[in-house]
Amino acid sequence: MDEIVAEFIRRTILKIPVAEIGKILRIWNFLSESQLKTINLQQCKENVSQDVVELCKKKRASMKEAAILDIIYHQTCQIKKIWIVYKMTKAPGEEVDLSDMEEFKASFKKVLQRALKNVHISFRDSEDDAVWIRIAWGTPYMKPNQYKTTYVVYHSQTPFVFISHCQIKKYIPELWQALMTAGNYHKIRQMELRSLYLDSLKAIVFKQYNQDFQTYYLTPLEEENSEAEIVDPRIIHENMKEKERIQRVTRETFGDYVQPRIEFAQYKLETKFKTDCKNGILAEREEPFRCLVKFSSPHLLEALKSLAPAGIADAPLSPLLTCIPHKAMNYFTIREK
Amino acid sequence: MASSQKHGVLYQLERLEARDQRSAKPQDEHQGLQDSETDLEAKIRKLRKLRDELRTKVKLHEASARIPITNLEPYEPLKNSEENLEMKLEKAKAFFQAFHLTGLSGKLTTKGVCICFSTAFEGNILDSYYVDLIIKKPLTIHRHSVPVFIPLEQIAAKYLETNFQHFVYSLSEHLNAYSGRKYQADQLQCGFSAFLARPLQRNSLCTLLSFTYTTDPSGKSFPFCARLVYQDLTTTLPTNVTITYQGTGATPASWEDQRAAHEPLFYKNALYKVFESFLRVREN
Repeated sequence: MDEIVAEFIRRTILKIPVAEIGKILRIWNFLSESQLKTINLQQCKENVSQDVVELCKKKRASMKEAAILDIIYHQTCQIKKIWIVYKMTKAPGEEVDLSDMEEFKASFKKVLQRALKNVHISFRDSEDDAVWIRIAWGTPYMKPNQYKTTYVVYHSQTPFVFISHCQIKKYIPELWQALMTAGNYHKIRQMELRSLYLDSLKAIVFKQYNQDFQTYYLTPLEEENSEAEIVDPRIIHENMKEKERIQRVTRETFGDYVQPRIEFAQYKLETKFKTDCKNGILAEREEPFRCLVKFSSPHLLEALKSLAPAGIADAPLSPLLTCIPHKAMNYFTIREK
Repeated sequence: MASSQKHGVLYQLERLEARDQRSAKPQDEHQGLQDSETDLEAKIRKLRKLRDELRTKVKLHEASARIPITNLEPYEPLKNSEENLEMKLEKAKAFFQAFHLTGLSGKLTTKGVCICFSTAFEGNILDSYYVDLIIKKPLTIHRHSVPVFIPLEQIAAKYLETNFQHFVYSLSEHLNAYSGRKYQADQLQCGFSAFLARPLQRNSLCTLLSFTYTTDPSGKSFPFCARLVYQDLTTTLPTNVTITYQGTGATPASWEDQRAAHEPLFYKNALYKVFESFLRVREN
């Protein structure tokens, strides 16, 4: 077995958290059950990876199998890459086509390999019927670099493609061309939506998060009246009314269920500076005051949802904040109207 | 030349006239042929029109098995106004019940209406999808929860402005068919995984299903490699079924017989029903 392959497998195992190593090796299905039993997962990771490499050497693993191990690692431990969403459009008048995944893969591979020599392409289907494509880029003079790979996730018959952010940007046009030809699309554009959480991106663009739709069967939640601490009944009534109003508005905007998870929203402002104070350096300037506002949080949309009930912001929130899942954007540019 | 001296100009003219008359006769025949041609063309057009009319009649006849909520008896005014109101109420209730059975319901919102499409397949209630419309000129879809691979934009472009009822009906057809196909694929994957040699492969719309199955989970029978294509997005039964032999060598005769028996089953029955029948055969 190639030393390069051995080193790649060793480094991949080192990246996997100890708790997941057994599971990932089983999914990989390259080493037999009896071989897997001989690995002692309690020892330190370096030794575990050495053991795995030894077993793979005996079975003569090639880069092809090692690439599949890499894909399984990324499919299982997902929060490692930033995913950017792209949308493809068909030529007008074209109907939904049958979309055979095997034909898609064959066509994609053919087009990309025709355009670029020395690319290493691997495919693996995921459980939610998407195809994961792993591409290692090389040059006419260099073998593919297995450590700087681009991942593409695609669901058949949808116009959306999820591409992982990669340092090698040179071959993006060829990648786009291969995707469009294989999927039978006409154009591709980058959407203003990116996040670490691939599942949340899918939920937003495929509209799988539970949006709040008004139906006959939605009964409003009745709040339990807690024991009043304040004596004056009029004060209680006002607080209650305002609280109920905030709850209602929040529920109408965000719905009852958990929001998709994204970690930031970025607003590029190119508007004039507005201030009440007439004197001051910044007041009454013609040129736009350019600034960048970035909101970040471990779970941004849930944080926004809790702003009004926590009393930090007024309800309803600015539509610029609440439109993120509906418009499928978290990068905004705001110009003067 | 010599003849022209013997016969004068008049003779020449006579000869030309005679020649003309001779050539006119085949023209008459030609004209006759042309006339019968146009007659036949007119006949063909008439027959085609009749054929198209008969075709639409047949289609309407087939379709009249389902619907028509709109074809209820015309309302007859009664003498007593109270009875009028009661009848109106009963009719309205019946309308709502009937619509509820179709899985369509709607609720007025501040700017328009939100339509709920509840899908079902063979008595099983499946997912619901919503379309939020804003009522203004032109009618627009504000937001929706329809999956991205359902051709919503195309259906809206065709019918939303011109024929709202048809828009709702067409979208309902697509959603119900998609839910039905997805349900069949899920049932096969979960309920009959013992029969599948490799996991079911499907595309997002579930219009292309590919799987390898045996009729005997203990592995004694031959594998059948099936590929089901649903060309029509509004149906829950496949339009093309191909079953191929996966092994090496020539196909055994018994395999051929079984294949010939299986193929029509897939065309006519839901997927899980076909496998239920395999199960029953095995148990007998």
